[in-house]
This record gives sequence, structure tokens and C-alpha cells, in this order.
Amino acid sequence: MSKHQPFAVLTVLSGLFAAAGTGPAVPSVLAQGPDNPYATQQDVESGQRLFARHCSRCHGLNAGGGERGPDISTGEFQHASSDAGLFNVISNGIADTEMRGIYRTRSDQSVWQIVAWLRSLGAGARVAVAGDPAAGGAVYSGKGDCSRCHMIAGAGGRHGPDLTTIGNRRSPEQLRSDLVDPDARVQPQWWRVRATVRDGPVVEGLRMNEGTYSIRILDGADNLWSLAKRDLVASERIEASSMPSYADALTDSEILDLVAFLYNLTGSANGGGAR
Amino acid sequence: MTTRPTGIPPTRSVALAMIVALAGASAAGMITAPGAAAQSAAASPSFRPVTNDRLLAADAEPRNWLMYSGNYYSQRYSGLDQINGVNAGQLEMKWAYQLRALDRAETTPVVVDGVMYVTESPSNVTALDARTGSQYWRYVHDLPEDLNLCCGRNNRGVAVLGDRLFMSTLDAHLVAIDAKTGNLIWDAEVADEKEGYSKTGAPLVVGDKVVTGIAGGEYGIRGFVDAYYVDSGKRAWRLYTIPGPGEPGNETWADDSWRTGGSPTWMTGSYDPELDLVYWGTGNPGPDWNGDVRMGDNLYSDAVLAIDPDTGELRWYFQFTPHDVHDWDATQIPILADTEFDGQPRKLMLWPNRNAFFYVLDRETGEFLLGKPYAKQTWAEGLDDKGRPIRIPGTFPSVEGTTVSPPISGGSNWWSPSYSPRTDLVYVMAYDGETTYYIRDDEYVAGEQYTGGGGETPQPVDRYVSAVRAISPQTGDVVWEYPVQPRSTAGVLSTAGDLVFSGTVDGHFFALDAATGAELWNVNLGARVHAAPMSYMVDGRQYVAIAAGNVLFTFGLRD
Repeated sequence: MSKHQPFAVLTVLSGLFAAAGTGPAVPSVLAQGPDNPYATQQDVESGQRLFARHCSRCHGLNAGGGERGPDISTGEFQHASSDAGLFNVISNGIADTEMRGIYRTRSDQSVWQIVAWLRSLGAGARVAVAGDPAAGGAVYSGKGDCSRCHMIAGAGGRHGPDLTTIGNRRSPEQLRSDLVDPDARVQPQWWRVRATVRDGPVVEGLRMNEGTYSIRILDGADNLWSLAKRDLVASERIEASSMPSYADALTDSEILDLVAFLYNLTGSANGGGAR
Repeated sequence: MTTRPTGIPPTRSVALAMIVALAGASAAGMITAPGAAAQSAAASPSFRPVTNDRLLAADAEPRNWLMYSGNYYSQRYSGLDQINGVNAGQLEMKWAYQLRALDRAETTPVVVDGVMYVTESPSNVTALDARTGSQYWRYVHDLPEDLNLCCGRNNRGVAVLGDRLFMSTLDAHLVAIDAKTGNLIWDAEVADEKEGYSKTGAPLVVGDKVVTGIAGGEYGIRGFVDAYYVDSGKRAWRLYTIPGPGEPGNETWADDSWRTGGSPTWMTGSYDPELDLVYWGTGNPGPDWNGDVRMGDNLYSDAVLAIDPDTGELRWYFQFTPHDVHDWDATQIPILADTEFDGQPRKLMLWPNRNAFFYVLDRETGEFLLGKPYAKQTWAEGLDDKGRPIRIPGTFPSVEGTTVSPPISGGSNWWSPSYSPRTDLVYVMAYDGETTYYIRDDEYVAGEQYTGGGGETPQPVDRYVSAVRAISPQTGDVVWEYPVQPRSTAGVLSTAGDLVFSGTVDGHFFALDAATGAELWNVNLGARVHAAPMSYMVDGRQYVAIAAGNVLFTFGLRD
């Protein structure tokens, strides 16, 4: 069966038929409640198997991002913040993207189990931390001088990740590692570049975006640059972290306090800021 | 003092009046002076039925693009040279058509005498005026709501014969549509979509039949190539890509694993009219990453099949990746070329394969002539003298993960390569990446994915490189390369103007010198180029068309 739409009719009714033009509209399912009723360790393991079968092709077997889908292993998600929100995205997909829902082929229980597994990644369940957040705050502004590069709630520097909600994304163990061994995990969005313009300046700073023909840099003075690659005589990518290791600069108890301070930064979780 | 006439002098105005009258008359069909219809701006393009002869001689009408890959040899080469190295720097956008679906387009338009047929997600086709981008008609296919799809929800293009179009649909049907109005003529069910079968590739018309493939390699299907009569839509033959019990090759599947062996055929094949052979690539054996449950070479997965188009009989096959455990489908475009090899003219098949090796085969017999890596690979020491890979131990998927190049998506993939008979070079969008491959136990459940593991990308994608690579068929050497960032999943077009066109993931579309790879022009279209370019001519003007994001753009020279 086909729908034949003569041109004249189409122009009048195109607004009504906009959804029909892409195929029949898929009804949504919604989570029955805000909380995940399937959150035991058993559910987490089932969720991992289900994820491998239904989701890993795009998102990678460990949810770290694959050939077609983004990294969803961080504990923070672009299209959902609550468990119910995750349930809805996994069930219904995301409109006008390649993310398709699985509600037709999977039960509610299966979807919740995938939610449970996703939540177990990234920072994991919240834990209690030793360390004094208030003292950690003093280290942050004092000895650590962290706001030179990092922002919290709009205050601070631009050359490191925004830390307003870092406590949602990184566990205490991960935060400790970030402080003492920052080179262990430098994501491409924090790589730096040093570009030499022919008969012009050397521009060095954050590699904000790089394509075949041009590169965009935030330099040390917080200027935004756009450079055409054909105008460059040299361009060097620096993948090592520009954050120093605090292993020697801070005492163990200062690091413990700083971790507690950072872990407490959970802000408002609706992800309105840049990533 | 006589007043000088202002405006148009009388004699010229009379001439103008005559030209206007002539144009009006020819538009109304009253005058058929030779050349008047073509030159007058008021004349419309006219669609002449596409005969088999026109398809066989597609190279003789370079202003049209009569099938997915341009011609039966699948060279994706345009014989037009109005746009060339001298003027490519001046290309400007002519018109854009925004597809009604927001899914990223993978389609190649077909152009017949000024009418352009564009397919779009999920399984619809629009007929456009190739001069202006305005619509003639649109066909919308009814699809079930709950389709099982592993991958792109998309359609790559139509085939045309007579005044009919043929198109695959995502629910595993093949439809015939009237090329002038979009009316449905017939609708044939090719397979049951509930078992994971689907169709996305452009079919291929051969004689009185439409040859078409099937998708579903991640769902434990049993793959096949089908042919349907163009008149009735009745199936003429089916060639299974996995032999059944008692058939030669079935013994290359342990136990019953042949039943769920995958080996799909989801891209478009090629045809040699002299040899009367249809060539079609086959995809991965299933489950993708767990080869333990299907010991053996797994014929005819990851292979090229040479098929008799009348009977569907297999004449010869060549398997690129026996017992594949990396999902390296050979569902790619078989390029046919008549050129020299070893100093002799030879009928060749040129294939930059997903497994990162470039193959040269004799397309008469399937004899292996040459094989060399064209992209980064760490899984084979090389190919033996029959073209069989000499595997490096320790490169199979493992429980804890094994990192191998090329990645799951391959050294290249379904996106079209191109061959220029002028430069005698194959152009392919290559990728030097890697995947950490994992093996897992999976049970087959009809309609569900059956892949036995998966992969992860171990490093930031920014560390890997895509490049257009020009490969010599005589030596397999990469003659030049043009790296792109971030990377590319775009097809390549080459032209008689000695240009090569392709695109990038971040939306750039560019033109290169076909002989040297020198960059001549680029433009930012704003969304991933995930289709292949084509070229056509209307009213004496050449256009290059490319889909980027969900928009079809056309480019041409300034008037």
C-alpha cells in the first residue's frame, strides 16, 4: 500500500502530514514511576548483557562510545537526568536521530535493567567520603590555585573542565586519580595545539575544534582564534595534560579534603553548561 | 533635431518579439525546430523511457546518471568535463532540496533527462526537477511501526527501466513505482522483516529482471541475492549466500551454524554484459564476533559472487576473509575495469575491501591477481598466492578484548569508491583506525541481534586518520593520498574533468585534482557527508550533487 500525495495537496497539508512523511508515528511509553524498581546487582549484570545485545553496536561494548553512538559511560547523559528519563530514552529512542527505542521488543524489566547497568558506570552509586569538604574548598582556592583553569558556577578559568557538577561524573577514586595523574585521562576536547602562522604569530591554546581546512583555538589570554590551515607553517598537537600533578604539591590529607570538596560539587544536574 | 530612440531599437525589439513567440510556441509543443527545445529557457526536461540499451550504453549519455553507481561497471565516474581543474575553484551552490526525513542521507540520486529521483529515509522517493530542485511527485511507503533494524534507517537509491523505478524498502520489500507519477505498480515481499531481514541498497536492473540484495547479517538470517521480473514483480530466482545441506560449501559451517550464518548482500552489485555475469558482494558471517560456534571458512560470507543473471547460478566466487570474526563485510561495490595488468589488457575487478586489503581479480574467472593493504591493518602478514589471508596469531576477539586494525567499520566500507579510466586509478575513502574486539556468548533468537560480542574504540577518534587514497590497479600502490579530519564516511566520484569529489564527517565537500590529489575547492555543508557524489547535465550545464545531513545540494559553475 502506498500513499500517493499529489503536489498541490501536499503543499496545503504538509504541516499535518509532517510526521506521516517519515513513516507512522511511534507511540511513546513512559516509565511508571521515577525510580528504578530493578536495581539489584543481578539486575546490573542482566542489564550489561542486554546492553551488549541491543546497544553495543552503536555505543560500544562498555558504553564508552562506538562507531555511531556517543560515550554514555560517564554517568551524565545529554537527553536524560533521572532514571525515568533514561527509561524513556531507551524505550522510545530520540526523535530525528539514529537512536531508536527498544520498547517494542523488550519488557519494562529489561529496560530498567539496562538503566541499572548504565548507572553503575561512571561515578557509580554515591558513597561516603573521608575528608573535609570545607578544608578541601580552602585547598581549591589556596594552594591548589584550581580556579586559574577551572570554573565552578561561572567563577574561574576557561582552560580546564567546568567543575560545577564534577561530583556527578567522577567517583572519589577517579577524582583522586585526576589530581595525582592527570595525564592518565586527557579527552580530546582538552588537547592543546601550537600553531605557527606564516609571517604571523604563534598561537597556542586549547584545540577547540579542528577540521581539514581550519582550526579554532582558545589561547592563553582567552582570545578565540580561527586559523586557516593553508596559512600555517607548523601545527603541533599537545595531548599531554596541561594540568600539573598534585601528588607532590599537596599532602595526602589535603588531597583527601580536596576530593571530598569536588565530590560534593553536584550542582543542578540539568546539564545546561558546556561539556 | 530627431529624438534618439531610447531603450531597444525597433529592429531588435521585433527580433525579441519573435524569440519570445518562438519560446512560447515551443513550450506549447507547437514548434519542433531542431535545437529550439533544448536552448529555450521555457522548454521543460522530458523523460524518455530508459531502455536496456540505454543502460548498457550509459557512458554514452554522461548528462544522465542512470543507476546507483553510474554505469554497470560501477565506476562512479562522470564523463562530463565542463567542470574541471581550471574552474572547479568557482563552484557555487545551485539549489538544495531538504529531505523530509531528518535521518542522515545515504542516497545517490538517479537522473534521467532532467528528472532526478532521490530516495530518503525510511523508504520514500521523490522526483525532482534536476534543474531547479522542485518536486514533481513523492512516493511514501507504508512501513510497520516496529521494524528490527541494526543500523541505518535509510535507503540508498533506485534503479530504473522503461518508465518504472525499483526500490528496496526497510520492511524487506521490493516495489516498482511509475517514474512519471509515483504510483505504485507492484510490491513484492522479499523476506519477513520480523526475522530481522531488511533492505536498503539500490537494486540493479539486468535485462528483464531486477537484481537485489538483503540485509540482516546481525540477526542470524540466511542471506541471498534475488532477481524479480520487472513486469510482474514475481521472483525469477534466489541464490542463497550460504549453501544448504548437501550443497558444496555447506561443510564450511560447523553443525547447524549455516542456518543463522548471516552473509547478507545489502549493497548494489555490478554487471559485465559481455561475460553476462552479475557480481555481488556478501557480508559477514553470523554471529559476527564469535567464530567458535561456526568453525570453518563460512562460505560464501565476505566474498564476491559471480552470478548468471538468467538462472541465478553461481559461476565463481572469491572469498576475501574466510572465517571472519571482525565483521568485515564484503558488501561493497565491485568496480569493473578494462585496463592493463602485467602488460596485457585484462578484464579486472578492483576491490578496496573492508579488511583493509586492495584486491585485483580477473573478473572472468575470479583468479586472484594482486592484493595489498591500502589502509592500516594488523591482522594478516599478507595474502598467499591464491589471495587467502595469512593470519597473524592473537588477532581474534577475546574475552578481555584484542585491539586490531582495521576497526569494525573497516579500512573502507559501503561508501562508494571510484575508478577513472582517464587516470587509471581507483579512489577510495580509507580509514586507518582500530577496534578492541570482544567475544561473548549469544543465543540465537529470531528477530533479535545475534552478534556474539562487540567492540570498543580504544583511543580518542581524533587520533585516527581518514584519507582519499588513489590506488594503481597494476601495482596496488597508493599513488597519492589526501588526509581529512575528523574522518570520513563519504563516497568518492571521479570525472572526465579530472576531478575527484568527496566529503567529511564534519560536513565538508571538496574537489581534488584526480592525478595528483591537489586540493582545488571545498565548502562546508554543515552536516556529515554520508553519501556519494554524482554528476549530471541539464540545459547544457553540469551539476555535481551530494547529500549532506538530510539535504541534497547541487553545485555548478557561475552562469
